[in-house]
Amino acid sequence: MESKEASQVITAPHSGGYSVFLEGPAGAGKTTAAVRRLEHLLHEGVPGDAILVLTPQRTLAEPYQRFLRSQDAPGGSEVTLATLGGLARRAIDLLWPLIAEDAGFRAAERPVFLTLETAQYHMDQVLAPFLEKRYFDSVAIRRNRLASQVIDNLNKAAVVGFPHQEIAARLSQAWTGDPGQPRVYEQVQECASAFRARCLENNLLDFSLQIETFVRHVLPTPEGQSFLFQRYHHLIADNVEEDVPVAHELVTRWLALAESATLVYDWDAGYRAFLGADPQSAYELRKSCRRVIWMERCLVASEELQDLGTRLAPRLRRSASLPAGRGRQALVYASFRFHPQMLDWVADQVSRLVTEEGTPPREVAIVAPYLSDALRFALALRLERYGISAVSHRPSRSLREEEGTRCLLTLTALAHPDWGIAPGPFDVTRMLVQAIDSLDVVRAQQLSRIVYRVRDGRPALTAFQEIAGEAQERITFLLGGRYDELLGWLEAYRQGGASSLDHFISRLFADVLSQAGFGFHRDLDAARVAANLVESFSKFRRAFPRDADQAQIGREYLRMVQQGVVAAQYIEDWQLDGDGVLLAPAYTFLMRNRAADYQFWLDAGSRGWWERPYQPLTHPYVLTRHWPEGKQWTDGDEYQVRQLTMDRLLLGLVRRCRKGIYLGISDLGEQGYEQRGPLLEVFQRMLRHAVQAGRGERDA
Amino acid sequence: MGVSAVPGSGKTHILSYLASQLVATSIDEDQEVLIVTMMNSAVDNFSRRIAEFMQREAGLLPNVGYRVRTLHGLAVDIVRERPALVGLSETFDIVDERAATRLLEDIVQSWVSAHTDVLTSFLMGDIDDNKARWLLRDRWPGVVQDVALAFIRRAKDQQMTPAGVREALSGSEQRFTLATLGAEIYELYQRALMYRGSVDFQDLIVLALRALESDAELLARLQRRWPFVLEDEAQDSSRLQQRILELLSGPNGNWVRVGDPNQSVHTTFTTANPQLLLDFMDDPLTKSITMPNSGRCARPILALANQLVDWTVAEHPSPACRDAFRQQHIEPTPPDDPQPNPSHDGRVLYIDGTAYAPEAELKTIIESLARWVPAHPDETVAVLVPRNEKGFQVSEALRNKGVPFAELLQSTISTRKTAGALVHVLRHLVDPMSAAKLARCYEVWRRDDRGEDEVAERNDEAIAALRRLRNVEDYLWPRLGNDWLAEIEAGGAVREVLGTFREVIQRWHRAAGLPVDQLLITLGQDLFTDPPSLALTHKLAALMRQIGDDDPTLRLPELADNLAEVAKNERRFLGFDQEDNGFEPPKGVVTVTTMHKAKGLEWDRVYLMSVNSYDFPSDLPSDTYVAEKWFVRDSLNLVEEALAQLASLSNLYAGYVEGRATRQARQDYVKERLRLLYVGITRARRDLILTWNTGKGRLPAQPAIPLVALQTWLEEKR
Repeated sequence: MESKEASQVITAPHSGGYSVFLEGPAGAGKTTAAVRRLEHLLHEGVPGDAILVLTPQRTLAEPYQRFLRSQDAPGGSEVTLATLGGLARRAIDLLWPLIAEDAGFRAAERPVFLTLETAQYHMDQVLAPFLEKRYFDSVAIRRNRLASQVIDNLNKAAVVGFPHQEIAARLSQAWTGDPGQPRVYEQVQECASAFRARCLENNLLDFSLQIETFVRHVLPTPEGQSFLFQRYHHLIADNVEEDVPVAHELVTRWLALAESATLVYDWDAGYRAFLGADPQSAYELRKSCRRVIWMERCLVASEELQDLGTRLAPRLRRSASLPAGRGRQALVYASFRFHPQMLDWVADQVSRLVTEEGTPPREVAIVAPYLSDALRFALALRLERYGISAVSHRPSRSLREEEGTRCLLTLTALAHPDWGIAPGPFDVTRMLVQAIDSLDVVRAQQLSRIVYRVRDGRPALTAFQEIAGEAQERITFLLGGRYDELLGWLEAYRQGGASSLDHFISRLFADVLSQAGFGFHRDLDAARVAANLVESFSKFRRAFPRDADQAQIGREYLRMVQQGVVAAQYIEDWQLDGDGVLLAPAYTFLMRNRAADYQFWLDAGSRGWWERPYQPLTHPYVLTRHWPEGKQWTDGDEYQVRQLTMDRLLLGLVRRCRKGIYLGISDLGEQGYEQRGPLLEVFQRMLRHAVQAGRGERDA
Repeated sequence: MGVSAVPGSGKTHILSYLASQLVATSIDEDQEVLIVTMMNSAVDNFSRRIAEFMQREAGLLPNVGYRVRTLHGLAVDIVRERPALVGLSETFDIVDERAATRLLEDIVQSWVSAHTDVLTSFLMGDIDDNKARWLLRDRWPGVVQDVALAFIRRAKDQQMTPAGVREALSGSEQRFTLATLGAEIYELYQRALMYRGSVDFQDLIVLALRALESDAELLARLQRRWPFVLEDEAQDSSRLQQRILELLSGPNGNWVRVGDPNQSVHTTFTTANPQLLLDFMDDPLTKSITMPNSGRCARPILALANQLVDWTVAEHPSPACRDAFRQQHIEPTPPDDPQPNPSHDGRVLYIDGTAYAPEAELKTIIESLARWVPAHPDETVAVLVPRNEKGFQVSEALRNKGVPFAELLQSTISTRKTAGALVHVLRHLVDPMSAAKLARCYEVWRRDDRGEDEVAERNDEAIAALRRLRNVEDYLWPRLGNDWLAEIEAGGAVREVLGTFREVIQRWHRAAGLPVDQLLITLGQDLFTDPPSLALTHKLAALMRQIGDDDPTLRLPELADNLAEVAKNERRFLGFDQEDNGFEPPKGVVTVTTMHKAKGLEWDRVYLMSVNSYDFPSDLPSDTYVAEKWFVRDSLNLVEEALAQLASLSNLYAGYVEGRATRQARQDYVKERLRLLYVGITRARRDLILTWNTGKGRLPAQPAIPLVALQTWLEEKR
C-alpha cells in the first residue's frame, strides 16, 4: 500500500504542463514512486516514445530498465532512458550536416565521438611536446592522471557552462598556496586549448565538445528543439541532485514545454560533485515546478539505524532522534592489529549472516573508501572459502591484464614481425600455455627457448619439426604438432597480406584458437576476452581518420596497450547484477542506489572517509556556478567541505541499510601505516556518549 | 622547554606520563597531544606506554587524544590535510628509500657513462687506463650515487629546487664541477619522481613546511588541534623539523624538547644537527632543565662513560674534536630512588687490548657467548657492531655455533623471510624447468617444519631428490606411464609429501597468469598462516602492483627481481617488523644490532666490537676514512666537497676552497663516532666488554685512540 504522497506523484495529471518536484531522503520510496508514475503513464495510453527518463548516469536508470523489461510493462513503443551525454551524442549525430560548420568542424566528414579512453589517447599525444618543454615539472602526478585532469577541466567548463578559455583564470583567482601554481594553471590552459584545437581540426568530439556543441549549436536550432521537446512530451528526471547545471537548464526549458514532468531530488546527496554535479542548481528546479511533494520518512533503515545516522552526521540532523544509545544497537564493531585479520573477521561475520541467519548474499554489501584490487581479491578469496560468491563494481582484471588478451597480443606481434615489436621470452611461454590445449608451463618454456628468437628487433619462430629429437620427445609430438599448426596459420596469414587488427584477431580466434586442441576451445571466457579486445581496438580505430594506415593503427594500438594507456579500462557493460555479496567503494555503492540488509564498512580508520578526491590541476568547487568571482579557496572551505562530504556519505550509507552495520577497524592499514582517520573519532564520540547514557540510565 | 637528559634517565617514561596527564586534564575532545620522535620503534614504544597510563591511571580509552609520529609520519599527516596546496593529487605515492635509491641508480648509471671526463678529473694520478676503466664501471657509480644522494637531500633541506640550483650555478663565477654533477642528477631525479606522481621522504618534509607556511588557516587549525607538542630525541632534529614544530606550537605554544646532545649520532648521513637543540636551550625564552641521574648502568660503567667525556673534552689529540661532547656527567640515582643502579659485584668491565684479526675477534666473542648464555638464561645480552655487514657476520657465526640470537639490523628477518619466500616461488614460476629452483620452492614451502628428526630427514631426502630431477616435467606434469614420482618408494613419507607438493605447484602454475598482486596473495595463502606475514604479503602485493602499473612493460621475471631487492635488504616495512612493534631484548638470547640501532635499549651484558682506528678514527694523519676513496685524488671526500659547493652557492659561506670541507668532515665524523662509542658503552647494565680488530685494509688498523685512553685509565684506577 503506497503512501498518500506516492499516489499523488503516480497519478498526477499528465497534461497541461503539470510538473511535480518530489524530494526527500534516500530510502523514502521516491524512485519507486517515479517508476510507478512511468507505469501509470503507459497504462494511461501515453506512447512510450513520448517519454524520456533522464538520469545523471546509466546505473541510476536501472530501476526503470528493470520495470520496462518486466511483465508489468505494457507493450508498445520504446521509452527512452538517457543521460545528458547520450542525448547530446544522438542529436549531434542526427543533425551533423546542419550544425558542423557553425560549430567549427568539417561537415563533409562524419564526427568521431571519443570515449574516455580514446580521449585520453589523444590528450596524451597533445601533452607529449609540452612535457618535453618541461611543463608540469612541479606537479607530482602520473601521466595518465595528468591527461585526465586536463580533460576534466574541459568537461567542467562544458557542464557548468563557462568558456573553456577561463579555466586558468578561475583556478588562479581562488588559489592561496604556492605562488608558482598559477603558472601551472596557465600550462593546463595551454594544453586544454591545444587539445580542443586538435579535436576541431579532426572532427573529434570528446565529452566536453559533445556537451558544448549540443548546448550552443543543436539546442538553438528549430531542428534540435523539435528533436527533443516535440518528441518527448513527458519527462521523468531522477536524481537531479547528481546532475550538472547544463542538464538542469535543459530540464527547465522542458518544464515550460512538456505535458508532464516528474523531478526527483535526494536530500543530503550530491556525490558526483567532483564530476560537476550541482545539488544547489538542482534544487532551484523546484521553483519551476507546479507542485512540490515531500516524502520525508526513510522506509529502509530501521529506527536504530536512523538514530545512528543522526548521531554520525549531526550537521545534517533534520529530526529528533531516539534516546541516546539506541543507535548503538545497530552497530557491531571489532578492532585488529593487522589488516588481513580484519578481513578474516569480515568473512566470518558474512558467513554467519548467510548460513546461520539465512541472509541472502545479495543483501550484504562490503564497502570501503578505497577498494584496491588486492583488497578486493583478498576478500573475494576469503568469501569463496565459505562458498559465498561476491560481485564487484568491476571485473577483477582490466582487459590488458587478461591472460587471453596477452596471448592474443603476443600472437599479434609475432604475426607482424615488420612492426618490430618483440615480445619477451616470458610472454611467449605464457602465450604457448594459453594457446595450446594441455601444454604445461614447463614444456612451454622448453619449447619457447628452442623456437623463439629475436633478430634485428624482429621476432621469429621456427617449426617444431626442425628441432632436435630429444627435445621433441620431451615436449611430445602431440603438443608439438599443435604448435606447428598455429605457426602454419600465422605464416599463411603473413603471406596473405596484412588486414586490420580486429579482423586478424577474429580470424585467429575462429580458425585456430577456438578449435579442438587449442587453448580457447574449452575456455568459455576466452570468447568474451577476444570479443572485448576486438571491441577495444575498433573504438581505438574509430578515433583515427578512415583513410589512416591500418598497420600503423595496429602498431600504435599495441604500443598504447603496452604503455597502459588503452585497454586499461574495465569492460564497459559490466553489471552489478548477480546474487553475490557486493564489494564496492562506498561511493559506488551509493550511486548504485540500492539498499542492503547489512553493510560492512572496512578500514574505519582510513582518512579516505573524510577526503575528497584532490585534483591539483582542477577544482570541483571553484569551477562551479556558485563560486564568487575572486574569492579564494581557504583551509576553512576545505575543512567544511570535507566534514559535509563525510556526513553525507555516512548518512547515505545508513539510509541504504536495513538491519545493521559492521565496522571493521585495523590499527595498520593495507599499506602497513597506522590509521587514525576522522571516522574513528566520530564513532568514538558516539560510543562515549552511549556509555555515558547507559551509566545515566543505570544510575537513575 | 628544553630538557637535556642523560642516557637511562627515564625520559621516555616521563614523556609518556606527561602526555597521558595532558590528555586526561588539559585538552578538548577534538584536540590531541602531539609526540614527535625519531625512530619507528620509539613510536610504538610511546604509544603503548601512554595507552597503559591512560587506562590504568586516568580510566580513559586508549588511542584517543594523542598522536605519536616520526617526523615523516607527521609530514604525511600535514600534507594529507591539503595535498593540492603543495601540488599533489590525493593518490600521491611516497617512494620509500629503496625505490628512491633504485631510481637514482638508473639515473646515475646513464649520467656516469656520459660524463667520464668529469670523473677522470678527480682520479689519482698513478692509475693506469685498465684500472681506470674498471673503476668507471665498478666503483664510480657508487661514489656518484653517494654524492648525488647527499646533494639532493641537502638541497631539499635548503628548500632549493633543481631550477634554483641551476640558476645559482649559472650566476656563480666559480666553476663547481661537483655541484653541477649534483644539480644535473637532482633535476633528472626530481623529474622522474614527478612523472610517477611520487614524492620521497625528504620532499614530504619540505612540502609539509610549505603547506604550513603558505596557509595561515591550516596552520591555525593544526595549532588548535595540537596544543601540546612533545619532541623526543631533539638532538637529532634538523632545521626543517625544528621549523615545522616551531610553527605548530606557535609563538606562545607548549613545546617540550627532550634530548641528549651527547648522543647525537645521526649527523653524518642526515641533516640532523645537535647544535639546534643547544641553541634552543641557551635561548633566554626557553626554560632549560637537566636530568643528570640514571639508574641504568652499574657505577663503574657510568664512570667509564663519564671518563670518555672528560678525556675527550680535555685531552683528545685533535683540539678541534674536543667539543664532541657537552661536559655533562651521568650521576647515579640517589639512594632511595625506585630505580637504583645495578650492582657490579662479580661482573665484568673489560677492555681487551689484543690485536685480533677480524675472524679471531669474532671467534673470541662467539665462544664467550656460547659459554655465557647458557649460564645466564634470565639475563639479556647484545653484541653491538659499528656496521650492518659486521652484524650479519655475527648472526651467521652464532647460527653455526647454535647460540640463540635475535637480529635487529637494517632489514629485519621477518621482512626478508616473507619476501624471500615469495621470491623463491616467483623464480620457479619464471623458470619452471630448473630443478634447483623447484627444490628451493620446496624448502620455502616446508620452512616452518621443525622439531622432529623424522620430518627433517624426510625434507632433506625430498630436496635431494628434487635437485637430482633431470626433467622437471616428468614430475610436475607427467605423461601417461612416465611419472617420476612412481620411481620413489611407494608408501613412504617422501613420496607422500612430494605428491602433495606437486598439487600445490600445479595450483601455482595455474595462478601464474594472474596479475601480480593477485598471484602474490594466492601464494601467501598457501605459504603463511601468521598475521604479520599475511599482512606483509598483502602490502607486497599492493607494492608490486604499483610498480607494475608504473611500468606496464614489466613482467613476472622483472617483478620477481624487484621483490628480490625488497627481500635482500634495504627496505623495511613499517609496522610489520618486530622492531616497529617495540623491540624488547629477549632473555637468554643474543641480540645482534648496530650501535646506532641500540639507542634507547639496554642489556645486562654488552659486547662492543671493532673499536679500531678505522671505525673510530681520531683525526690523526695515519687515520683513514670510509668516505675518502683510495682512487680519488688528494683524499677528497667528494660528498662533503659537493655539499660545500652547494653551501657556497646558497651563500652560506663566502667561498669554496677545495679540500677544506674534507678536513672539516673528518673532524665531524670523529666527533660523531666518539658519541657513538658513548652510546654503546651506556647500553650496558652490568657487564661491558670492548674489543678491536686489525681490519682488512692494506695497512693494519690500530686500536681506537679513545679505547686506548679508556684502557689506560681503567688500569691506572685498578
